[in-house]
Amino acid sequence: MSDASISDKPQKPIPRPSPESAPYWEAAAQHKLRVQKCNACGQHWFPPSQRCPHCTAADFSWAEVSGRGKVFSFVVFHRVYHPAFEGEVPYVVALVELAEGPRLLTNIVGIAPDEVRCEMAVKVLFEDVAAGVAVPKFTPA
Amino acid sequence: MNINPSTAFRDKCAIVGIGNSRLGKVPGVSSLDLLVEAMVNALDDAGLKTSDIDGLICRGPDDAYGHHQLIGARLGINANISTTMDNGGASQILSIAMAVMAIEAGLATTVLCGFGRDAWSRTHVTEEARVRNETRPASQRPREFGPEYGYFGAVAAHAFGAQRHMHLYGTTRDHFAEIAIAFREHALRNPQAQMKKPLTKADYDAARLIVAPFGLFDCSLRSDAAGAVIVTKKDRAKDLKQPPVPIKGFGSFNNLRGWFMDDNMVVTAAKKSGETAYKMAGLGPQDVDTAQLYDCFTYMVLTQLEDYGFCKKGEGGEFVASGALKLGGRLPTNTSGGQLSESHCEGMLQIVEGARQMRHTYGAERQVKDAEIALISGHGGNQVCHSTLILGRA
Repeated sequence: MSDASISDKPQKPIPRPSPESAPYWEAAAQHKLRVQKCNACGQHWFPPSQRCPHCTAADFSWAEVSGRGKVFSFVVFHRVYHPAFEGEVPYVVALVELAEGPRLLTNIVGIAPDEVRCEMAVKVLFEDVAAGVAVPKFTPA
Repeated sequence: MNINPSTAFRDKCAIVGIGNSRLGKVPGVSSLDLLVEAMVNALDDAGLKTSDIDGLICRGPDDAYGHHQLIGARLGINANISTTMDNGGASQILSIAMAVMAIEAGLATTVLCGFGRDAWSRTHVTEEARVRNETRPASQRPREFGPEYGYFGAVAAHAFGAQRHMHLYGTTRDHFAEIAIAFREHALRNPQAQMKKPLTKADYDAARLIVAPFGLFDCSLRSDAAGAVIVTKKDRAKDLKQPPVPIKGFGSFNNLRGWFMDDNMVVTAAKKSGETAYKMAGLGPQDVDTAQLYDCFTYMVLTQLEDYGFCKKGEGGEFVASGALKLGGRLPTNTSGGQLSESHCEGMLQIVEGARQMRHTYGAERQVKDAEIALISGHGGNQVCHSTLILGRA
């Protein structure tokens, strides 16, 4: 069996959207951050699913959000779990709470890992990782 | 929703057989065979035969679907009630809770419960296995919202909770070190323990970071290990080989909305699971003489100590720094060395150790003196499933 971890030129994993998440990634490719917003109760949610986890309504829109939020918590990877990240350690993976409520797993970039703090204000930016694929990351606001 | 746990189950059933397999590095033995070894040891301990068993509830990494059938076939057991449990590291206590309910409902009389896995062998025996490391098959790994950010593994998931706790309450890595060192001291008194060398604060501090704030010694072991227990009516237990260990209460809670939601990474499902178990047992944290807590990572011990009410939320650091967890301390915890230093068996060995403490099995160096009540926890399933077991003395 071939495996990314033993191939010659390790590539970072590219998101493989599900039917539910495809609109999220289509928006990201255009450098827009969109999450689902319930047309019944008005709340936003993430990760994508076909019904609102707040009220179970199936009526929703993909709403563009502010891209602003704060670091709820974060970790710093020192161990290389995937060879494509060998040159990146130490790097920060954070849980960012958007102003609209949902929390997103992401990277914090543009700041030294030891300067990242919980509750730090951050804003979104987009990193183009392949043709037609961009990944939202966050940087201090 | 408020629930009203039934006190009708209190002290009705008992653990009457306890067993474990060889622990640590046991190359050439499958997860299933490790569990069979532990189960046979539990049967011998109880003085029971496979023909006495009419319930089988178990779990292992091989076949979530039908694992109990693989074990039943190997032991030659037919059963009135049998299933594979699917609640992550909380499964093992939930199996015992289900055994009690089945026995009280008249569906079975004598239930064999257990868990085994060959986590060391499957990640170390070949170079390829070592490189692959993660035990989860590729088809089940996340496709998005993680790997693209370099987010992998259970260490990071739990480290998020540790970081948040540090932010809210001023908890430090020095506090986590107290937990790792206390459990290592216990392991040195346990001839079965995987870790044989003392752990100093200097060792802890010098160890490499894995996913900060966790370093090497914040992380539990990869082990080949299995454990098993036998549950039956307390009345019947009197006729068996060993003193019965009465089951006083159990609880369960699942923060299914997710570890990243609400405050779940800081106030864990242990809180509500514990409240249920305490109510059923008619006991509180002040009554507990020893705790055997699910220690996949140091921080998880600290937050559970708070969630179970041994100290207030946010005061776990101070509590562990007082030496409370050590044998001879206020709440001797993980007296076998736990998953950090004995062997990692997804909580099954916590049950084994708790029951042995309640039998007063050990000599003075390892026995919690005059212990009457043990609280045991199970945690897992993407960090949100939790179960609690309270054992007493016959």
